[in-house]
Amino acid sequence: MSVFFLIIVLGVLAIAGFVLGRGRALASVQGNTRRLHSLPGYYAWHGAIMAFLPAMAVLTLWLIAQPLIIERQLADYFPAEQFENDSQRILLMADVRRVAEGLDVAVAAGALTPQDAETITVADGSVRERLGAVGVALGAEVTPEVLDAAQSYRALASTGALGRAIVTLIVALAGLAYALRITNGDFRARNRVEAVILGVLILASTIAILTTIGIVMSMLSETIRFSSMYPFKDFLFGLTWQPSFQGGSELGLIPLLWGTLYISLVAMIVAVPTGLFTAIYLAEYASPRVRSIIKPLIEVIAGIPTVVFGLFALVTVGPFLRDWFAVPTGLGSSGSSVMTAGLVIGVLNIPFISSLADDIINAVPQSLRDGSYGLGATKSETVRQVILPAALPGIVGAILLAASRAIGETMIVTMGAGAAAKLDLNPFEAMTTITVKIVSQLTGDTEFNSPETLVAFALGMTLFVITLGLNIFALWVVRKYREQYE
Amino acid sequence: MYDAPNLETRVTQTNTKITARGVQVYYGDKQALQDVDVDILDNTVTAFIGPSGCGKSTFLRCLNRMNDTISNARVEGEILLDGENIYDKRVDPVQLRAKVGMVFQKPNPFPKSIYDNVAYGPKIHGLTRSKAELDEIVESSLRKAALWKEVKDRLGEAGTGLSGGQQQRLCIARAVATAPEVLLMDEPCSALDPIATAQVEELIDELRASFSVVIVTHSMQQAARVSQKTAFFHLGNLVEYGDTSHIFTNPSDPRTESYITGRIG
Ligand SMILES: Nc1ncnc2c1ncn2[C@@H]1O[C@H](COP(=O)(O)OP(=O)(O)OP(=O)(O)O)[C@@H](O)[C@H]1O
Ligand SMILES: [Mg+2]
Repeated sequence: MSVFFLIIVLGVLAIAGFVLGRGRALASVQGNTRRLHSLPGYYAWHGAIMAFLPAMAVLTLWLIAQPLIIERQLADYFPAEQFENDSQRILLMADVRRVAEGLDVAVAAGALTPQDAETITVADGSVRERLGAVGVALGAEVTPEVLDAAQSYRALASTGALGRAIVTLIVALAGLAYALRITNGDFRARNRVEAVILGVLILASTIAILTTIGIVMSMLSETIRFSSMYPFKDFLFGLTWQPSFQGGSELGLIPLLWGTLYISLVAMIVAVPTGLFTAIYLAEYASPRVRSIIKPLIEVIAGIPTVVFGLFALVTVGPFLRDWFAVPTGLGSSGSSVMTAGLVIGVLNIPFISSLADDIINAVPQSLRDGSYGLGATKSETVRQVILPAALPGIVGAILLAASRAIGETMIVTMGAGAAAKLDLNPFEAMTTITVKIVSQLTGDTEFNSPETLVAFALGMTLFVITLGLNIFALWVVRKYREQYE
Repeated sequence: MYDAPNLETRVTQTNTKITARGVQVYYGDKQALQDVDVDILDNTVTAFIGPSGCGKSTFLRCLNRMNDTISNARVEGEILLDGENIYDKRVDPVQLRAKVGMVFQKPNPFPKSIYDNVAYGPKIHGLTRSKAELDEIVESSLRKAALWKEVKDRLGEAGTGLSGGQQQRLCIARAVATAPEVLLMDEPCSALDPIATAQVEELIDELRASFSVVIVTHSMQQAARVSQKTAFFHLGNLVEYGDTSHIFTNPSDPRTESYITGRIG
């Protein structure tokens, strides 16, 4: 039974649980709903949940565990030293799975009988050709071990699928039976449903956390591999970035970090005052009519893909800055520059800051404004002395979020700042950032196991640490402020 | 017989501070106040009473143009402060509000220290020339609001960290520190316990020496205790206005009598 079909069956059982749970609860009190502990709907949901959730959990666990168990079983087909090496085992298992799937396809297409698929050996002629005939392309000729393993894989998988279906259905039916047995007028279905809802909410919140942990773990392990091939101290403090795929690369972080921070700084100098002033105008001065026109217009910017901004930087802003500022002042002759990328990222971040700050300013209670106006303060005095201090924690948070975005921006810097890793103070010079280099080190036809490629993970880790640091700093600022005034 | 000479002396001492003639207030299309005529005297406590929603706060906000901050509110008619129309184009509402201070129904201290809350008005209006002078204003305002003893050791702490009643007295101190000529108080005691209420009432009585005080209240006893003049509002109309003693003992309008005796409200 396929997983999809199994889930449909579970759905049907859930509906049955819904109907039966409700019916049974009503029957137990002879239809007098006032004698029920909970509303009838709760008994219905309880029936549905008990039929569906435990079975679904078992199914999920089974789906995770089965491939791991099968892999263990197949270890006998291969020499131990091949199987112990992580990357070789992964390749082998991919081959096995591919051949097994090929056999499945061949059986389905009628090119092989199910019997043949189980017994075919390399002696019977080229397996690669026969599978190729039904559209399954294999990279190399199939070795006898892989073919044997694939056949064993198919057998195990089909046994597994049968067991999976049986166990899942048993659990579902048991859950349903349990729900019906326990349902009577006194059963507190409402509380049980509440507990399930709580569980679902907690699960949802852990997914994001687990993903973050997963990302950090994978980055960390690759970073550690990188540090075993390239001295980590040279990475952290190196002043030159010169990767060369023939070896002897210099992979110093500092020029990239400098470019990243410099561009972000320019971006924030543009975005923070503009965004904040926009927000203050919208929240405190603009009439409702003006606000209803301007706010959506500003937010349109947020919807423009960053690639388009990159084009704008490349085609318009860059040449403009070069011809009107850099060349006349003798500061440079390049269209791609820190200024170009910084300005454009800054503009991109204006609506981000302004709409967050606008919400935060609007959340400041009207009574504080009244209090200030009632003492004879003007609008701008009220904004400066009462509203901004009250909104400060939120605004700092918004600014730091925008800073993380600027630091992580990739497309605009690729097109607007150039690709030259340089340590320079001149903002009209082309520079590059961590994100650009992550992309350029990972794309391209290079061996995965070289420091030149793995440095991308170390760079990613660096970015992660920077943004994490920013966020912790933001929390600290907010907390310090709160302690003072609440 | 004994009251008459007293009344006489008081009236001779006081002159009219605010004159309102034919005041109409609209929120959008809805009229909230009709044809209000009132003379508010200097050095007098005037109480506004009336059932909820009758327009007391609305009228109070007209007196310092706080209605300007409500986008759909519109005020017609004439309100004179010392003979000058406050709705005249030449009058700056910001300047006006420094002269006509306001304490709100809900305490609304700023998220600043206690000291900075009280110093806010004097700083904005440049009332002091030195830190010592400012310290003095802060202290005397807090004393007037009967809060000094409780906060003198914690002036640097947040004003929002005080209890509700202390916050309200802080707001009163804040308004007093700006040295207004008229003080408008919208139900200033609704968040206070009886002890703090008594302190605020005592304060109001003291303030009368230097300002004209207008207070909105739902407590008949309070109106009777603190005010010399009382105005009764009902459904957007000013029904009756006169000496407090007169209104509470011998109202001329049957609606006033019903309200005071608790039959409408
Ligand atoms: N901002 C506003 N927008 C629209 N209508 C308002 C606004 N403020 C007050 N009103 C209306 O104006 C009328 C008078 O309100 P006001 O606040 O002056 O009453 P009040 O006498 O102070 O009542 P309470 O004793 O409950 O404070 C009410 O009908 C109220 O609904
Ligand atoms: Mg009111």
